[in-house]
Amino acid sequence: MKVTLNWLKEFVDISHTPDELAHALTMAGLEVESVEKIERPFNAVVIGEVISCSVHPQADQLQVCRVAMGASEPVTVVCGAPNVAVGIKAPLALPGAVLAQNFRVASREIRGVASHGMLCSEAELGLTERSEGLMLLAEEDARIGADFNAWLGEADYVLDVNISPNRPDCLSVIGLAREIAAVSGKKLRRKEIVLATIAGTITDRIRVVIEDAQHCSRYSGRYLQNIHIQPSPYWMAYRLHHSGIRAINNVVDITNYVLLETGHPLHAFDYRQIAGQKIIVRTAAADEPFTTLDGKRHLLDAQTCLICDADKPVALAGIMGGLNSEVREDTQTVFLESACFEPIHIRRSSKKLAISTESSRRFERGVDPNGTVYAMDRAAELMCELAGAQVYGEAIDVHPVVVEPQIIHITTERINTLLGTQLTESEILALLPRLEIECTATEHDAFQLKIPTFRPDLSRPVDIIEEIARLHGFDKIPFSIRASIDQSQTINERIAFQDYLRRLLAGLGLRETLSLSLVSAMAAQPFLPQGAKVVELLNPLSTDWAVFRSSLLISLLQNTAYNRNRQSTIQRFFEIGNAAWCENDSHREKKQVVGILAGETHEPAWYDRGRAFDFYDIKGIVLQLLKACGLASVRLEPAADSYWSPESAALWYENTCLGAMGRMDESLLAAYKIKTRDVFAFQIDFDVLYAHHLQHRLFVPIPRFPSLPFDIALLMDATIPVGDIETAIRQEGGPSLAGVHLFDFYQGEQIPPGKKSVAFSLTFCSRERTLGDEDVTPMVDHILTHLKAHFGVELRPR
Amino acid sequence: MSENLQKTLAEIARIEKQCQSLLVTATNLQELEKIKSDFLGRKGAVQALFALMGRVGADEKPHLGAALNRLKETLQAEIETRMASFQRQPMAIDSFDPSLPAKLPAMGSLHPILQVMDEVKQIFTSMGFRVEEGPEIESDYYNFEALNIPAYHPSRDMQDTFYLSGQHVLRTHTSPVQIRTMETQKPPVRMIAPGRCFRKDTPDATHSPTFHQCEGLCVDRGVSFADLKGVVQAFAQKIFADKSMRVRFRPSFFPFTEPSAEYDFSCIFCKGKGCRVCKNTGWLEISGAGMVDPAVFGFVDYDPEIFSGYAFGMGLERIAILKYRVNDIRIFFENDIRFLEQF
Repeated sequence: MKVTLNWLKEFVDISHTPDELAHALTMAGLEVESVEKIERPFNAVVIGEVISCSVHPQADQLQVCRVAMGASEPVTVVCGAPNVAVGIKAPLALPGAVLAQNFRVASREIRGVASHGMLCSEAELGLTERSEGLMLLAEEDARIGADFNAWLGEADYVLDVNISPNRPDCLSVIGLAREIAAVSGKKLRRKEIVLATIAGTITDRIRVVIEDAQHCSRYSGRYLQNIHIQPSPYWMAYRLHHSGIRAINNVVDITNYVLLETGHPLHAFDYRQIAGQKIIVRTAAADEPFTTLDGKRHLLDAQTCLICDADKPVALAGIMGGLNSEVREDTQTVFLESACFEPIHIRRSSKKLAISTESSRRFERGVDPNGTVYAMDRAAELMCELAGAQVYGEAIDVHPVVVEPQIIHITTERINTLLGTQLTESEILALLPRLEIECTATEHDAFQLKIPTFRPDLSRPVDIIEEIARLHGFDKIPFSIRASIDQSQTINERIAFQDYLRRLLAGLGLRETLSLSLVSAMAAQPFLPQGAKVVELLNPLSTDWAVFRSSLLISLLQNTAYNRNRQSTIQRFFEIGNAAWCENDSHREKKQVVGILAGETHEPAWYDRGRAFDFYDIKGIVLQLLKACGLASVRLEPAADSYWSPESAALWYENTCLGAMGRMDESLLAAYKIKTRDVFAFQIDFDVLYAHHLQHRLFVPIPRFPSLPFDIALLMDATIPVGDIETAIRQEGGPSLAGVHLFDFYQGEQIPPGKKSVAFSLTFCSRERTLGDEDVTPMVDHILTHLKAHFGVELRPR
Repeated sequence: MSENLQKTLAEIARIEKQCQSLLVTATNLQELEKIKSDFLGRKGAVQALFALMGRVGADEKPHLGAALNRLKETLQAEIETRMASFQRQPMAIDSFDPSLPAKLPAMGSLHPILQVMDEVKQIFTSMGFRVEEGPEIESDYYNFEALNIPAYHPSRDMQDTFYLSGQHVLRTHTSPVQIRTMETQKPPVRMIAPGRCFRKDTPDATHSPTFHQCEGLCVDRGVSFADLKGVVQAFAQKIFADKSMRVRFRPSFFPFTEPSAEYDFSCIFCKGKGCRVCKNTGWLEISGAGMVDPAVFGFVDYDPEIFSGYAFGMGLERIAILKYRVNDIRIFFENDIRFLEQF
């Protein structure tokens, strides 16, 4: 809410500087976002009086005026404003003056007549947005020739206060002034309303019926006649302008002015347009059409609360008036509405119709149900003063639901326990009345509090404790450090395991990335499990971020592409995070461990040229990771998902699939515009890994006797996986076979076609004694016999 | 023995000596390569001797052939031995150059945001808080209702939410983890919930649709606002490793706390004296906190007459930005290697 400082000063004495005030309000929970001095971007402007006027000989639209300016000679000024006339007083900018938007005034000829200055509008002076006529200074204290700046009075500031949704009372000048009074210990000055009325019976003119009492708890109204629609005085237009509201005419401006001053929304109807002298508050029929005063046509639903006359709707309750009944230039009689509508209902309708107004913003937060009459009478008073209105008869006040002030009981002890303070009864009793809360001590250190109805946020003891903390000052609450031992909290193993994996992967040379969880539907599609659908946002920011990622591989591919586009040739990334998809209409979230290697093993170096990554690089990282998690024996099977190329494998541990690894599918890489084929990745289900990881390790004694190596070179069919041979060697090797290591692999010349040559280094070791060749040879022979029988593998002559 | 044979044998002995003396004086591999080709190459000295086989008679050929073969083998072995000695010592000590680039093993790293998260976890774990987590796709109930943010309440406007089908949202904060924890655990509760959150914010220097938060909660008998202030101050001093850090609480509004506060840290750049970063206030806005609203206890069946608690939040990107002096939040999610390798 934006408000000028001088407006606030009408209601409370302010001794703080504007910045101090902003700080004090902020520390009391009303965050002041900015304090801006209202600039008066002009100089050399005096108050002038038009003493003669004649039509410009060359232009009917212009007047040649003589303008008196006190001591010095009157000057001739050419003026085109529609409201220029003999006898008016207006700001006169003299040659040399610089006005708003850096406009420079100079003596110049206008169609053959010399003009030595300029009579100004409010907009030309940068005071308001009103530009349609001269700024008229009707006030008696506008002394001819006086400096206009001095006439404007002391400097003013605009405070922009961020009002939280629980404080509708502070969406008003009076509400803010009350807070300032409470914070600074000053008194709030209320305005007494003096209203003269013409005798009459209001029901002869209008009747109000509330059919929808669920959404309208009170409806007050007044009938005002003899109104003269004209522009509002400068002071009102100025205050509205700085609160962000455009001036329209005196009646509309008054309703807005009182809305800002009291926080209570009002609406003025042109009485001529109200059919049947009747106002009915009812809910709309389904698809009932209605055109609001901004000219937009809406189709309403059957829950929308409407203000209607005998024939038709005339306003959307609490949100906006209708085009059919708005106040016009020739309006003479006004029906003024001051009602109270139900917050949730207004919020729902405002959201549904996508209309947010100053009025709906207040109603949806909750206005004071007992404030309707005050706001209405304040507006009526201003209409009498500024529009010549006469108030006919008494006020209408239909009040089906009466809201009584809430009563809250609280004790000093309760306050101090929650805040960690040691406030006394008298300190508390000094604070609360500043907020117009009536306090009665019921017994020792216990109070009964009566809460004003403009504070819907105060309904429980804890709400009162917040008010006390706020006024006492959060700064004065001590810092407490407790030294107690609590055994109830333990380490969260799942998170600890995740952090362990992160450190392992970083240790294996991968960089951790952190990516947005949102991707395009197209990116998510290839990674969905069978039969699953994407998790779609109903209100995405863009199509690129329309669904939840179905795999973290998407993020790593994006990161790879991003870096390759920036001349990086090697990518080694990992990420642990959630992917999600929809299965049987429910959302499934999966934590994944994902890594990628793309490009070259390293930059060409003086000792080594480097090479492209291959399957065995990613396999190495995965196996080291699994080994560090205690999963030593993992089975490889063909990977089924289409995002893997044939150079890939699924990882199985016992009967569970942990994930897969391998070269990424070529067409997928093309979709990410990754130009290299050498992109290898792994994707592991975090929770499967967590479920199978070894939490507790047992020591295996280190052999005391030396081990004996024995190398064998084998010639085998190229189609047999080397892994099968290795497994067979381990199985047949007996308890003394401590290690099997493939140290050479060859396919090509010197080898018969369809064959491959492999060489293993076997290590034998006994727990009982030192082994000799005579021990090992039979074991090796046994292995070789087995390999020949089962795989047709031959020993290769050395 | 014929004269020719004798001459040829003498020639063999001479070639052997010549080669051996050259080998002794050779100082580098290139010279050795030359010796090798001069003596053993196709047009080398040894090959030339083989051409002399015709000089001797058939009976003497085996004798000469054996001598020539022995010469070839001897020279071959000696040259190779010599070469090997050069290869084993590719550099004499005076040509050792430690300034040649290192053979760097591949280096991994942890993401800076998650490093901050690790630190936050460590600090709170040391103060007796347990780390909890929850789903990123949350129900409306956990993200809003149970945190006292009813439907059609203006406080829903405080966060721009991504909605999913079936009354689900991408969680806008990690506060739902509070509710999930309290549902399954009776007081005392002390927990933090670090994690990923989502808001419908168009990315710019200070906004990202994905970001990270850490929520904290402590519920027990007699927990007070003063305890909240104490914990937050202890955290501030640890995370910025500065005992002189001060913390300021300002009244604010959150539907799930009462009283509610925004908390600020004294500016780490100017030590609270006032600078451009803190807009001359001496304070940096961090996040929100407060005493758990009794309405929230109502949702998890805790008796607010017996228990009280505090809750606080913090944005991890905000802390990382201050710690590392990063000027644009988006860089955290770009994963540019030139950025990642700095941490």
